[in-house]
Amino acid sequence: MSTATTERHDAAGHSTTPIVELENVGKSYGNVHALRGVSLNVRQGEVTCVLGDNGAGKSTLIKIMSGLHDHTDGTMKLDGVVRRFGSPREAQASGIATVYQDLALAPLMSVWRNFFLGNELRKGPLRTLDIARMKRICADELGKMGVFVPDLDGPVAGLSGGQRQCIAIARAIYFGARVIILDEPTAALGVKQSGVALRYIVKARDAGLGVIFITHNPHHAYLVGNHFVILKLGRVVLDAHRDDLTLEQLTTEMAGGQELGELSHELRGVDPGKVIDPGEVEHGQVEAPALSPEERKAVEREEEEELRA
Amino acid sequence: MTATATEPSRGVATQDDRVATRPLAARLLSRPEVGSLIAAIVIFLLFMAVAEPFRNVANVGTILYGASTIGIMAVPVALLMIGGEFDLSAGVAVTTSGLSASLLAWNFGLNVWVGILLALAVSVAIGAFNGWLLLKTGLPSFLVTLGTFFILQGVNLGVTRLLTGNVASADISDMDGFASAQNIFGSEVTLGPVTLKITVLYWVLLTVIAAYVLLRTRAGNWVFAVGGDAAAARAVGVPVRATKIGLFVAVGFCAWLSGMHLLFQFNTVQSGEGVGKEFIFIIAAVIGGCLLTGGYGSVVGASLGALIFGMTQLGINYAGWNPDWFRTFLGVMLLLATLVNMYVKRRADLR
Amino acid sequence: MMRRSRMSLLAAGAVTALALAACSSSGGKQSTEGDAGKAGTATTPRMTVAFITHAAPGDTFWDLVRKGAEDAAKKDNVDLQYQSDPDGANQANLVQSAIDKKVDGIAVTLAKPDAMKANVQKAVQGGVPVVALNGGIDAWKSMGVLGYFGQDERIAGQAAGERLTKDGAKKALCVIQEQGHVGLEARCDGTKSTFPNTEKIYVTGTDMPSVQAAITSKLQQDKSIDRVLTLGAPFALTAVKSVKDASSSAKVVTFDTNKDLVGAIKGGQVEWAVDQQPYLQGYLAVDSLWLYKTNGNTIGGGAATLTGPAFIDNTNVAAVEKFASNGTR
Repeated sequence: MSTATTERHDAAGHSTTPIVELENVGKSYGNVHALRGVSLNVRQGEVTCVLGDNGAGKSTLIKIMSGLHDHTDGTMKLDGVVRRFGSPREAQASGIATVYQDLALAPLMSVWRNFFLGNELRKGPLRTLDIARMKRICADELGKMGVFVPDLDGPVAGLSGGQRQCIAIARAIYFGARVIILDEPTAALGVKQSGVALRYIVKARDAGLGVIFITHNPHHAYLVGNHFVILKLGRVVLDAHRDDLTLEQLTTEMAGGQELGELSHELRGVDPGKVIDPGEVEHGQVEAPALSPEERKAVEREEEEELRA
Repeated sequence: MTATATEPSRGVATQDDRVATRPLAARLLSRPEVGSLIAAIVIFLLFMAVAEPFRNVANVGTILYGASTIGIMAVPVALLMIGGEFDLSAGVAVTTSGLSASLLAWNFGLNVWVGILLALAVSVAIGAFNGWLLLKTGLPSFLVTLGTFFILQGVNLGVTRLLTGNVASADISDMDGFASAQNIFGSEVTLGPVTLKITVLYWVLLTVIAAYVLLRTRAGNWVFAVGGDAAAARAVGVPVRATKIGLFVAVGFCAWLSGMHLLFQFNTVQSGEGVGKEFIFIIAAVIGGCLLTGGYGSVVGASLGALIFGMTQLGINYAGWNPDWFRTFLGVMLLLATLVNMYVKRRADLR
Repeated sequence: MMRRSRMSLLAAGAVTALALAACSSSGGKQSTEGDAGKAGTATTPRMTVAFITHAAPGDTFWDLVRKGAEDAAKKDNVDLQYQSDPDGANQANLVQSAIDKKVDGIAVTLAKPDAMKANVQKAVQGGVPVVALNGGIDAWKSMGVLGYFGQDERIAGQAAGERLTKDGAKKALCVIQEQGHVGLEARCDGTKSTFPNTEKIYVTGTDMPSVQAAITSKLQQDKSIDRVLTLGAPFALTAVKSVKDASSSAKVVTFDTNKDLVGAIKGGQVEWAVDQQPYLQGYLAVDSLWLYKTNGNTIGGGAATLTGPAFIDNTNVAAVEKFASNGTR
């Protein structure tokens, strides 16, 4: 952990060497290639957006970087050193934190208990929880992100989606994350709350973190992103810096580009009055279908079994 | 260590006055056990008013004894429920433990204490098996422990018959070590006019320890987390498997303690005993504010639930009411306690 | 090196000492020996008897019934198929399955006669000889059953009441361990008919600590109770503890016995027990089926054969004790 802190101090401003480098990373489950030849660089103080439709391989990519899965092809380098993570804990210890769509918050637990879950502060010979200190730190850290919850002892279920997102991000930052992976942070939020979440992404970036912003919404991505990668059927179809890309291009690429044009043409024939041009598609309020918590649990349990077998 | 390393680089800490704490009364009322506390007080006052022997201090020991035999198991069962799981085998596991100690010592002519330690191993193994099977198969704990429940019921009967030819364990009160073991598991202490069975002591001790662990230690935090959202807990590095198996083992340990009391209080153990008690434990935990869905609850509440059971069971006798209605009365009491619980919680959450 | 060998010697010594200490010098399995029913074996052809009771799992009373049945089966060259289920409908199903298996005879308890009636009559009409035991003294004849071996629970209760009156008791507490059990109710009602100052209390038979607490609380509530009448041997032994807990001067008396209870009568903790001789019920039921099959005999001349009540108290406990240690009384 100490090396992480010193490096952050050494690297004044924007470091050019990537913290995380993926080179031709692939993952296959038996005959199914979920991810093929993905190369990606995550730099400090940059937001790298990974876009893609459902099933494009976004979640597989997250799982590889967060230590839930092992990749089957290619290499992953951390600070220039080739690494493989055996568990989420290992990834976290290396400074890679993941904020999942369900935020990894236990709904009925209090704000401060959630904040320190898995990293509880303890004191004294009995290793008692240092509740006073945890509450204080929790309030401070949330304050820095500009979030104020009425009662730290209240359950997180009573907070808004944006506030919960913020707790998860603040937690990751506090526990020494250098790279933070945000899995569809705006997917389940309305317009206003999405704005709140995007503000936190910028705050995290300005705090000197490398941010990986996973989303299917090019408008959100373009607001905060420095670098854009679009995945499609497990492959990278676009890899460009913000300077080389307009929102229009990004939207078109993301929406399927050529394919959407064809589809638009086809649908126009069916019901001409209701189809608009792909460039004008309003994405702001489209919510992506996500796995229900039960499905998610089932999938994760299965995967864990696989890992252990 | 992570925290201390990164804390300085976080900039100036701002004291924030917007994070207000709620008034003390509201915070107390939002505790999960407050409903059961109110219900316990109401039931206590009711029987104080109608039953003369209930007012006699000397009889406190009897009431607490009835509550303690439920409470010793209700505490770990509540922990398990907060951790998001059920154990339907908890009732017969008590019988299994008592039988194990008795039959092993008797059949092999061992010192009773050896039987006791072997029984501890058996009980803990049953708990661990429940937890392991649950995580291995991914089935709901309701089903897994229902299986264990039936298996143990059969084993209790079958093995007892196989070894002794009867359906109860043989009397082992004439064997070495019985007297000293009885001092530990089946004795009583007199405090002024009140005679307390040792189970009361164990019950209070277990409640205090469990409440401390749950609210003031890291393990307790993990229990809430695995019950609230196991996937979330795993994602932040909580050892979900170890926590759940640990909870089942805790139930096993307490089943052993109860089983030893059963054996040394009554010298023999009837192999058909304990069926149906698992629901009493679960109900005590629910009265105490544990949610059936996990992630929320209190061990102090579960102990109060056990106390409500004990007071009601014996209060009806003390009041001299027609016993035909005992179960009806018990059912009404339980419903009332749970409703009070819900009402208070709702009121507290609104503040 | 020296140190290590000495250490291991010490360790070995400690282990040996532990192993020795681990054994009990008294009690244990070796003390129970003996085999009842050593009579010669019949040379008649092997026959199959289904023995179907309403015993709840773990009720010690049925150990004695079953031993009697097994001893008779051994002697009569009978293949005994013992089955039990406390639920009336399930027990009736067991009778049906015995019919399906084409057994040579059925011995059945009729604790819930209404549930059993149809299937028992089916067996009788199908030519399978059936005898009843233990429960159903009012119902067996109408079903066409050959004989009945047991006690009349009401008569047994009356006998207990008479005994209480003779003993000069003031008030008795009748402890029912299973709510809604007709036979147990009949015992208490019978007692009440000859000893009116009897009060009932219901306890959960499968939960001994709660039985103890319940009896204790009742004794604390009503100090005038001077007799606790339990309806099963294990509950009598628990009631002894309750009496002590409540600092009551009440005496414990009971229905039914087992080995530990006989010891308690001998030790003076329990005054007396009403014995219905369960071993005899099991034995006679099987034996009567064998007699019927091999020689066309019936027992009882169309009336119930009563196996009780008989009292076990300090005057005859010494004689009974010898048999009890064999597990047959």
